[in-house]
Amino acid sequence: MRIVVDVADMKASGNGDEIVTHALGSCLGLTVWDPISKVGAMLHAMLPLSKINPDKALENPYMFVDTGVPALFQAFYKLGGKKERAVIKAAGCGAPLGDDRIFKIGERNLIVLKKLLWKNNLLLAAEDTGGTQSRTLYFDLSTGKVVVQSGGERREL
Amino acid sequence: MISKELLDRLIREIPSPPENAVRVLEVLRDSESTPSKVEEALRYDPGLTANILRMANSAYFGLPQRIGSIRQAVVVLGWKRVYDLVMVSCMSSVMDRPVEGYDLAKGELWRHSVAVSVTAELLAKELEIRGVDEVFTASLLHDIGKLLLGILIKEHMRDPEFFSKGDSSFDRLEKGLIGIDHAEAGAIVLERWGLPHRVVNAVRYHHNPEDSPKPDSMLDILHLADVTCLILGFTAGKEGLKYEPSSSVAKRLNMSSSILERASSLTLEKMNQLMRV
Repeated sequence: MRIVVDVADMKASGNGDEIVTHALGSCLGLTVWDPISKVGAMLHAMLPLSKINPDKALENPYMFVDTGVPALFQAFYKLGGKKERAVIKAAGCGAPLGDDRIFKIGERNLIVLKKLLWKNNLLLAAEDTGGTQSRTLYFDLSTGKVVVQSGGERREL
Repeated sequence: MISKELLDRLIREIPSPPENAVRVLEVLRDSESTPSKVEEALRYDPGLTANILRMANSAYFGLPQRIGSIRQAVVVLGWKRVYDLVMVSCMSSVMDRPVEGYDLAKGELWRHSVAVSVTAELLAKELEIRGVDEVFTASLLHDIGKLLLGILIKEHMRDPEFFSKGDSSFDRLEKGLIGIDHAEAGAIVLERWGLPHRVVNAVRYHHNPEDSPKPDSMLDILHLADVTCLILGFTAGKEGLKYEPSSSVAKRLNMSSSILERASSLTLEKMNQLMRV
Protein backbone atom coordinates (compact mmCIF):
# COMPACT_ATOMS: atom_id res chain seq x y z
CA MET A 1 0.00 0.00 0.00
CA ARG A 2 1.12 3.57 -0.63
CA ILE A 3 0.96 5.88 2.37
CA VAL A 4 1.25 9.65 1.82
CA VAL A 5 2.87 11.93 4.37
CA ASP A 6 1.49 15.48 4.14
CA VAL A 7 3.28 18.68 5.09
CA ALA A 8 3.80 18.71 8.88
CA ASP A 9 2.94 15.04 9.13
CA MET A 10 4.46 11.64 10.00
CA LYS A 11 3.54 8.07 9.12
CA ALA A 12 4.93 4.81 10.46
CA SER A 13 4.31 1.29 9.23
CA GLY A 14 5.60 -2.21 9.28
CA ASN A 15 3.73 -3.87 6.46
CA GLY A 16 6.04 -3.60 3.49
CA ASP A 17 4.23 -0.42 2.46
CA GLU A 18 5.64 2.44 0.42
CA ILE A 19 5.68 5.81 2.19
CA VAL A 20 5.78 8.93 0.00
CA THR A 21 6.00 12.66 0.59
CA HIS A 22 5.78 15.42 -2.04
CA ALA A 23 7.05 18.97 -2.54
CA LEU A 24 9.91 19.07 -0.06
CA GLY A 25 11.30 22.58 -0.41
CA SER A 26 12.97 23.90 2.72
CA CYS A 27 11.11 21.24 4.71
CA LEU A 28 12.93 18.24 6.14
CA GLY A 29 12.05 14.74 4.94
CA LEU A 30 13.44 12.16 7.36
CA THR A 31 13.20 8.38 7.15
CA VAL A 32 14.13 5.74 9.70
CA TRP A 33 14.20 1.98 9.01
CA ASP A 34 15.00 -1.20 10.87
CA PRO A 35 16.39 -3.85 8.47
CA ILE A 36 15.52 -6.76 10.78
CA SER A 37 11.92 -5.94 11.74
CA LYS A 38 11.37 -4.00 8.46
CA VAL A 39 9.64 -1.29 10.41
CA GLY A 40 9.96 2.29 9.20
CA ALA A 41 8.65 5.85 9.52
CA MET A 42 8.82 9.11 7.59
CA LEU A 43 8.55 12.70 8.82
CA HIS A 44 7.84 15.88 6.79
CA ALA A 45 8.67 18.78 9.13
CA MET A 46 8.35 22.45 8.12
CA LEU A 47 10.16 24.56 10.67
CA PRO A 48 13.19 24.14 12.95
CA LEU A 49 12.07 25.03 16.48
CA SER A 50 8.74 24.70 18.24
CA LYS A 51 9.36 27.71 20.49
CA ILE A 52 8.14 29.90 17.61
CA ASN A 53 4.61 28.59 18.23
CA PRO A 54 4.37 26.22 21.25
CA ASP A 55 0.57 25.90 20.97
CA LYS A 56 0.91 24.65 17.43
CA ALA A 57 3.58 22.15 18.52
CA LEU A 58 1.20 20.68 21.10
CA GLU A 59 -1.48 20.34 18.47
CA ASN A 60 0.88 19.00 15.78
CA PRO A 61 4.44 18.05 16.84
CA TYR A 62 5.32 17.07 13.24
CA MET A 63 5.37 20.70 12.14
CA PHE A 64 8.72 21.29 13.86
CA VAL A 65 12.01 19.41 13.64
CA ASP A 66 12.71 19.58 17.40
CA THR A 67 9.36 18.00 18.31
CA GLY A 68 8.80 15.97 15.13
CA VAL A 69 12.02 13.92 15.22
CA PRO A 70 11.42 12.57 18.76
CA ALA A 71 7.80 11.79 17.78
CA LEU A 72 9.06 9.96 14.67
CA PHE A 73 11.37 7.78 16.78
CA GLN A 74 8.64 7.08 19.33
CA ALA A 75 6.39 5.77 16.56
CA PHE A 76 9.30 3.72 15.16
CA TYR A 77 10.08 2.14 18.54
CA LYS A 78 6.42 1.46 19.22
CA LEU A 79 6.20 -0.69 16.09
CA GLY A 80 9.28 -2.67 17.13
CA GLY A 81 12.09 -0.65 15.54
CA LYS A 82 15.38 -0.73 17.45
CA LYS A 83 17.67 2.25 17.96
CA GLU A 84 20.90 0.26 17.42
CA ARG A 85 19.68 -0.91 14.01
CA ALA A 86 18.09 2.37 12.86
CA VAL A 87 19.06 3.46 9.34
CA ILE A 88 18.36 7.20 9.11
CA LYS A 89 18.23 9.21 5.89
CA ALA A 90 17.45 12.89 5.29
CA ALA A 91 16.29 14.85 2.24
CA GLY A 92 15.01 18.35 1.48
CA CYS A 93 16.19 21.42 3.45
CA GLY A 94 16.49 23.41 0.21
CA ALA A 95 16.93 27.18 -0.02
CA PRO A 96 15.93 29.91 -2.48
CA LEU A 97 18.55 31.85 -4.47
CA GLY A 98 20.42 34.72 -2.84
CA ASP A 99 22.33 35.09 0.42
CA ASP A 100 19.72 36.47 2.79
CA ARG A 101 19.87 34.37 5.99
CA ILE A 102 16.26 35.12 6.88
CA PHE A 103 15.00 32.80 4.17
CA LYS A 104 17.32 29.86 4.86
CA ILE A 105 14.72 27.88 6.78
CA GLY A 106 16.08 24.68 5.21
CA GLU A 107 19.55 25.19 6.63
CA ARG A 108 18.11 25.85 10.07
CA ASN A 109 16.03 22.66 9.79
CA LEU A 110 19.15 20.63 8.97
CA ILE A 111 21.19 22.13 11.82
CA VAL A 112 18.49 21.33 14.37
CA LEU A 113 18.24 17.76 13.02
CA LYS A 114 21.99 17.19 13.22
CA LYS A 115 22.18 18.56 16.76
CA LEU A 116 19.36 16.26 17.84
CA LEU A 117 20.93 13.18 16.24
CA TRP A 118 24.35 13.99 17.67
CA LYS A 119 22.96 14.38 21.18
CA ASN A 120 21.34 10.96 20.85
CA ASN A 121 24.36 9.19 19.37
CA LEU A 122 22.72 8.69 16.02
CA LEU A 123 24.20 9.27 12.57
CA LEU A 124 22.73 9.88 9.12
CA ALA A 125 23.35 6.98 6.74
CA ALA A 126 22.71 9.25 3.75
CA GLU A 127 21.40 12.70 2.88
CA ASP A 128 20.30 14.65 -0.17
CA THR A 129 19.85 18.18 1.11
CA GLY A 130 20.20 21.82 0.10
CA GLY A 131 20.00 23.39 -3.34
CA THR A 132 17.03 24.94 -5.11
CA GLN A 133 15.17 21.79 -6.10
CA SER A 134 11.83 20.63 -4.86
CA ARG A 135 11.97 16.92 -3.97
CA THR A 136 9.62 13.97 -3.73
CA LEU A 137 10.69 11.16 -1.41
CA TYR A 138 9.80 7.46 -1.87
CA PHE A 139 10.52 4.99 0.94
CA ASP A 140 10.06 1.25 0.36
CA LEU A 141 9.64 -0.49 3.70
CA SER A 142 10.26 -3.98 2.35
CA THR A 143 13.80 -3.09 1.20
CA GLY A 144 14.53 0.13 3.06
CA LYS A 145 15.29 1.78 -0.27
CA VAL A 146 14.84 5.57 -0.29
CA VAL A 147 14.54 7.30 -3.66
CA VAL A 148 14.63 11.07 -4.21
CA GLN A 149 12.91 12.48 -7.26
CA SER A 150 13.50 16.06 -8.40
CA GLY A 151 13.10 17.76 -11.75
CA GLY A 152 12.38 14.48 -13.56
CA GLU A 153 15.48 12.79 -12.11
CA ARG A 154 15.43 9.86 -9.68
CA ARG A 155 18.34 8.83 -7.48
CA GLU A 156 18.69 6.37 -4.66
CA LEU A 157 19.72 7.66 -1.29
CA MET B 1 10.05 35.57 -28.57
CA ILE B 2 6.34 36.02 -28.09
CA SER B 3 4.47 38.21 -30.58
CA LYS B 4 1.69 40.62 -29.66
CA GLU B 5 -0.79 38.55 -31.67
CA LEU B 6 0.09 35.34 -29.86
CA LEU B 7 -0.12 37.07 -26.48
CA ASP B 8 -3.56 38.47 -27.40
CA ARG B 9 -4.77 35.06 -28.43
CA LEU B 10 -3.49 33.41 -25.24
CA ILE B 11 -5.19 36.08 -23.11
CA ARG B 12 -8.51 35.45 -24.85
CA GLU B 13 -8.19 31.75 -24.10
CA ILE B 14 -8.18 32.32 -20.34
CA PRO B 15 -11.77 32.21 -19.14
CA SER B 16 -12.49 35.55 -17.50
CA PRO B 17 -14.53 35.69 -14.30
CA PRO B 18 -18.27 35.28 -14.91
CA GLU B 19 -20.00 38.53 -15.92
CA ASN B 20 -22.23 38.50 -12.91
CA ALA B 21 -19.31 38.13 -10.51
CA VAL B 22 -17.61 41.09 -12.17
CA ARG B 23 -20.75 43.18 -11.55
CA VAL B 24 -20.81 42.09 -7.91
CA LEU B 25 -17.15 43.01 -7.54
CA GLU B 26 -17.85 46.46 -9.01
CA VAL B 27 -20.68 47.04 -6.56
CA LEU B 28 -18.44 45.93 -3.68
CA ARG B 29 -15.66 48.28 -4.79
CA ASP B 30 -17.98 51.28 -5.11
CA SER B 31 -17.68 53.38 -1.96
CA GLU B 32 -21.31 54.50 -2.30
CA SER B 33 -22.74 50.99 -2.34
CA THR B 34 -25.14 49.75 0.28
CA PRO B 35 -25.66 46.17 1.49
CA SER B 36 -28.96 46.09 -0.37
CA LYS B 37 -27.20 46.95 -3.62
CA VAL B 38 -24.93 43.95 -3.08
CA GLU B 39 -27.95 41.74 -2.41
CA GLU B 40 -29.58 43.07 -5.56
CA ALA B 41 -26.51 42.22 -7.64
CA LEU B 42 -26.41 38.72 -6.19
CA ARG B 43 -30.14 38.05 -6.47
CA TYR B 44 -29.86 36.03 -9.65
CA ASP B 45 -26.78 34.10 -8.67
CA PRO B 46 -27.78 31.61 -5.98
CA GLY B 47 -24.58 29.60 -6.51
CA LEU B 48 -22.34 32.55 -5.75
CA THR B 49 -24.54 33.59 -2.82
CA ALA B 50 -24.36 30.09 -1.33
CA ASN B 51 -20.59 30.01 -1.75
CA ILE B 52 -20.14 33.34 0.01
CA LEU B 53 -22.29 32.23 2.93
CA ARG B 54 -20.50 28.89 3.18
CA MET B 55 -17.11 30.57 3.35
CA ALA B 56 -18.34 33.25 5.76
CA ASN B 57 -19.43 30.46 8.11
CA SER B 58 -16.23 28.43 7.76
CA ALA B 59 -13.63 27.82 10.44
CA TYR B 60 -11.43 30.36 8.62
CA PHE B 61 -13.36 33.21 10.22
CA GLY B 62 -14.39 31.32 13.33
CA LEU B 63 -17.36 33.61 13.98
CA PRO B 64 -19.46 33.00 17.08
CA GLN B 65 -22.73 33.58 15.25
CA ARG B 66 -24.10 32.05 12.09
CA ILE B 67 -24.31 34.28 9.01
CA GLY B 68 -27.54 33.75 7.14
CA SER B 69 -27.63 36.52 4.55
CA ILE B 70 -25.39 38.56 2.31
CA ARG B 71 -26.46 41.71 4.17
CA GLN B 72 -25.29 40.18 7.43
CA ALA B 73 -22.03 39.05 5.85
CA VAL B 74 -21.31 42.62 4.73
CA VAL B 75 -22.10 43.97 8.20
CA VAL B 76 -20.16 41.35 10.18
CA LEU B 77 -17.19 40.67 7.89
CA GLY B 78 -17.00 44.02 6.13
CA TRP B 79 -16.97 45.00 2.46
CA LYS B 80 -13.41 43.95 1.90
CA ARG B 81 -13.92 40.43 3.16
CA VAL B 82 -17.03 39.87 1.07
CA TYR B 83 -15.07 41.14 -1.93
CA ASP B 84 -12.32 38.58 -1.17
CA LEU B 85 -14.89 35.81 -0.91
CA VAL B 86 -16.49 36.66 -4.27
CA MET B 87 -12.98 36.63 -5.74
CA VAL B 88 -12.20 33.20 -4.23
CA SER B 89 -15.51 31.84 -5.40
CA CYS B 90 -15.19 32.94 -9.01
CA MET B 91 -11.46 32.32 -9.50
CA SER B 92 -11.24 28.81 -8.07
CA SER B 93 -12.59 27.13 -11.20
CA VAL B 94 -10.37 29.21 -13.52
CA MET B 95 -7.21 28.55 -11.51
CA ASP B 96 -7.92 24.98 -10.48
CA ARG B 97 -6.83 23.51 -13.78
CA PRO B 98 -3.51 21.74 -14.35
CA VAL B 99 -0.77 23.94 -15.80
CA GLU B 100 1.45 22.15 -18.24
CA GLY B 101 4.93 23.52 -18.62
CA TYR B 102 5.16 24.46 -14.96
CA ASP B 103 4.39 20.89 -13.93
CA LEU B 104 1.45 21.92 -11.81
CA ALA B 105 -1.12 19.16 -11.39
CA LYS B 106 -4.83 19.97 -11.17
CA GLY B 107 -5.46 22.11 -8.09
CA GLU B 108 -1.83 23.00 -7.42
CA LEU B 109 -1.87 26.51 -8.87
CA TRP B 110 -5.01 27.23 -6.85
CA ARG B 111 -3.52 25.76 -3.69
CA HIS B 112 -0.44 27.94 -4.12
CA SER B 113 -2.60 31.02 -4.75
CA VAL B 114 -4.65 30.44 -1.60
CA ALA B 115 -1.46 29.71 0.38
CA VAL B 116 0.08 33.02 -0.71
CA SER B 117 -3.14 34.92 0.09
CA VAL B 118 -3.34 33.66 3.66
CA THR B 119 0.44 34.02 4.18
CA ALA B 120 0.29 37.63 2.93
CA GLU B 121 -2.39 38.46 5.48
CA LEU B 122 -0.50 36.68 8.25
CA LEU B 123 2.71 38.56 7.37
CA ALA B 124 0.89 41.91 7.22
CA LYS B 125 -0.45 41.22 10.70
CA GLU B 126 2.88 40.03 12.16
CA LEU B 127 4.74 42.97 10.57
CA GLU B 128 1.98 45.38 11.64
CA ILE B 129 1.53 46.84 8.18
CA ARG B 130 -1.75 48.57 7.46
CA GLY B 131 -3.36 49.94 4.31
CA VAL B 132 -2.83 46.76 2.30
CA ASP B 133 -6.47 45.72 1.99
CA GLU B 134 -6.09 44.44 -1.54
CA VAL B 135 -3.16 42.15 -0.79
CA PHE B 136 -5.49 39.15 -0.60
CA THR B 137 -6.84 39.74 -4.10
CA ALA B 138 -3.41 40.48 -5.55
CA SER B 139 -2.05 37.31 -3.95
CA LEU B 140 -4.90 35.19 -5.23
CA LEU B 141 -4.24 36.36 -8.79
CA HIS B 142 -0.46 36.82 -8.76
CA ASP B 143 0.39 33.71 -10.82
CA ILE B 144 -2.46 33.88 -13.32
CA GLY B 145 0.18 34.56 -15.98
CA LYS B 146 1.30 30.93 -15.63
CA LEU B 147 -1.99 29.87 -17.22
CA LEU B 148 -1.01 32.00 -20.17
CA LEU B 149 2.62 30.97 -20.61
CA GLY B 150 2.35 27.29 -19.67
CA ILE B 151 2.00 26.13 -23.24
CA LEU B 152 5.05 28.11 -24.36
CA ILE B 153 7.16 26.92 -21.43
CA LYS B 154 6.21 23.36 -22.31
CA GLU B 155 7.83 23.79 -25.72
CA HIS B 156 11.10 24.76 -24.08
CA MET B 157 10.96 21.92 -21.58
CA ARG B 158 12.35 19.62 -24.23
CA ASP B 159 15.54 21.63 -24.14
CA PRO B 160 17.65 19.81 -21.53
CA GLU B 161 19.65 22.94 -20.87
CA PHE B 162 16.60 24.84 -19.72
CA PHE B 163 16.77 23.69 -16.13
CA SER B 164 20.47 23.17 -15.81
CA LYS B 165 21.13 26.90 -15.78
CA GLY B 166 21.46 26.55 -12.04
CA ASP B 167 21.97 30.04 -10.69
CA SER B 168 19.48 31.93 -12.81
CA SER B 169 16.09 32.69 -11.30
CA PHE B 170 13.11 31.18 -13.08
CA ASP B 171 11.50 34.49 -14.06
CA ARG B 172 14.76 35.47 -15.76
CA LEU B 173 14.75 32.18 -17.68
CA GLU B 174 11.18 32.84 -18.84
CA LYS B 175 12.10 36.31 -20.01
CA GLY B 176 15.17 35.08 -21.83
CA LEU B 177 13.27 32.39 -23.70
CA ILE B 178 9.84 33.86 -24.33
CA GLY B 179 10.52 37.57 -23.93
CA ILE B 180 8.07 37.95 -21.05
CA ASP B 181 7.78 36.41 -17.58
CA HIS B 182 4.60 35.08 -15.94
CA ALA B 183 4.37 38.13 -13.67
CA GLU B 184 4.22 40.54 -16.62
CA ALA B 185 1.82 38.24 -18.49
CA GLY B 186 -0.46 38.12 -15.44
CA ALA B 187 -0.42 41.90 -15.09
CA ILE B 188 -1.53 42.28 -18.71
CA VAL B 189 -4.47 39.91 -18.14
CA LEU B 190 -5.58 41.72 -14.99
CA GLU B 191 -5.29 45.11 -16.70
CA ARG B 192 -7.69 43.84 -19.38
CA TRP B 193 -10.06 42.63 -16.69
CA GLY B 194 -10.07 46.10 -15.15
CA LEU B 195 -8.48 45.26 -11.80
CA PRO B 196 -7.24 48.27 -9.76
CA HIS B 197 -3.85 49.66 -10.73
CA ARG B 198 -2.26 48.83 -7.39
CA VAL B 199 -3.20 45.15 -7.76
CA VAL B 200 -1.90 45.04 -11.35
CA ASN B 201 1.36 46.67 -10.26
CA ALA B 202 1.85 44.22 -7.37
CA VAL B 203 1.31 41.26 -9.72
CA ARG B 204 3.65 42.73 -12.35
CA TYR B 205 6.59 43.14 -9.95
CA HIS B 206 5.99 40.31 -7.51
CA HIS B 207 9.32 38.65 -8.33
CA ASN B 208 11.25 41.91 -8.73
CA PRO B 209 9.76 44.43 -6.32
CA GLU B 210 12.76 46.76 -6.73
CA ASP B 211 11.76 47.37 -10.35
CA SER B 212 8.41 48.89 -9.38
CA PRO B 213 8.25 52.60 -10.36
CA LYS B 214 7.38 53.33 -6.77
CA PRO B 215 7.74 51.21 -3.65
CA ASP B 216 4.50 49.77 -2.29
CA SER B 217 4.13 47.81 0.93
CA MET B 218 1.37 45.70 -0.62
CA LEU B 219 3.73 44.60 -3.40
CA ASP B 220 6.43 43.96 -0.80
CA ILE B 221 4.15 41.71 1.22
CA LEU B 222 3.00 39.81 -1.84
CA HIS B 223 6.64 39.25 -2.79
CA LEU B 224 7.58 37.93 0.64
CA ALA B 225 4.46 35.76 0.95
CA ASP B 226 5.07 34.22 -2.47
CA VAL B 227 8.71 33.45 -1.74
CA THR B 228 7.75 32.01 1.65
CA CYS B 229 5.21 29.65 0.10
CA LEU B 230 7.64 28.56 -2.62
CA ILE B 231 10.29 27.85 0.02
CA LEU B 232 7.87 25.84 2.14
CA GLY B 233 6.67 23.85 -0.84
CA PHE B 234 3.11 25.32 -1.11
CA THR B 235 3.37 24.52 -4.05
CA ALA B 236 6.54 24.61 -6.04
CA GLY B 237 6.19 23.58 -9.64
CA LYS B 238 9.05 22.39 -11.73
CA GLU B 239 11.04 25.53 -11.00
CA GLY B 240 11.38 24.52 -7.33
CA LEU B 241 12.94 27.25 -5.21
CA LYS B 242 14.57 29.08 -8.11
CA TYR B 243 13.52 32.56 -7.04
CA GLU B 244 15.42 35.18 -5.14
CA PRO B 245 13.86 36.91 -2.14
CA SER B 246 14.59 40.63 -2.09
CA SER B 247 16.82 41.61 0.81
CA SER B 248 15.90 45.26 0.51
CA VAL B 249 12.20 44.42 0.82
CA ALA B 250 12.93 42.25 3.85
CA LYS B 251 14.83 45.15 5.40
CA ARG B 252 12.18 47.71 4.48
CA LEU B 253 9.48 45.69 6.23
CA ASN B 254 11.63 44.73 9.23
CA MET B 255 11.29 41.10 8.36
CA SER B 256 13.11 38.61 10.57
CA SER B 257 13.50 34.85 10.54
CA SER B 258 11.27 34.53 13.60
CA ILE B 259 8.47 36.56 11.99
CA LEU B 260 8.81 34.45 8.86
CA GLU B 261 8.66 31.21 10.83
CA ARG B 262 5.84 32.40 13.07
CA ALA B 263 3.66 33.29 10.06
CA SER B 264 4.65 30.04 8.36
CA SER B 265 3.51 28.02 11.37
CA LEU B 266 0.01 29.44 10.90
CA THR B 267 -0.19 29.21 7.11
CA LEU B 268 -1.10 25.55 6.78
CA GLU B 269 -4.15 25.66 9.04
CA LYS B 270 -5.54 28.87 7.50
CA MET B 271 -4.97 27.52 4.02
CA ASN B 272 -6.77 24.27 4.76
CA GLN B 273 -9.69 26.11 6.32
CA LEU B 274 -10.17 28.20 3.22
CA MET B 275 -9.63 25.29 0.81
CA ARG B 276 -12.08 23.00 2.58
CA VAL B 277 -15.17 25.15 1.97
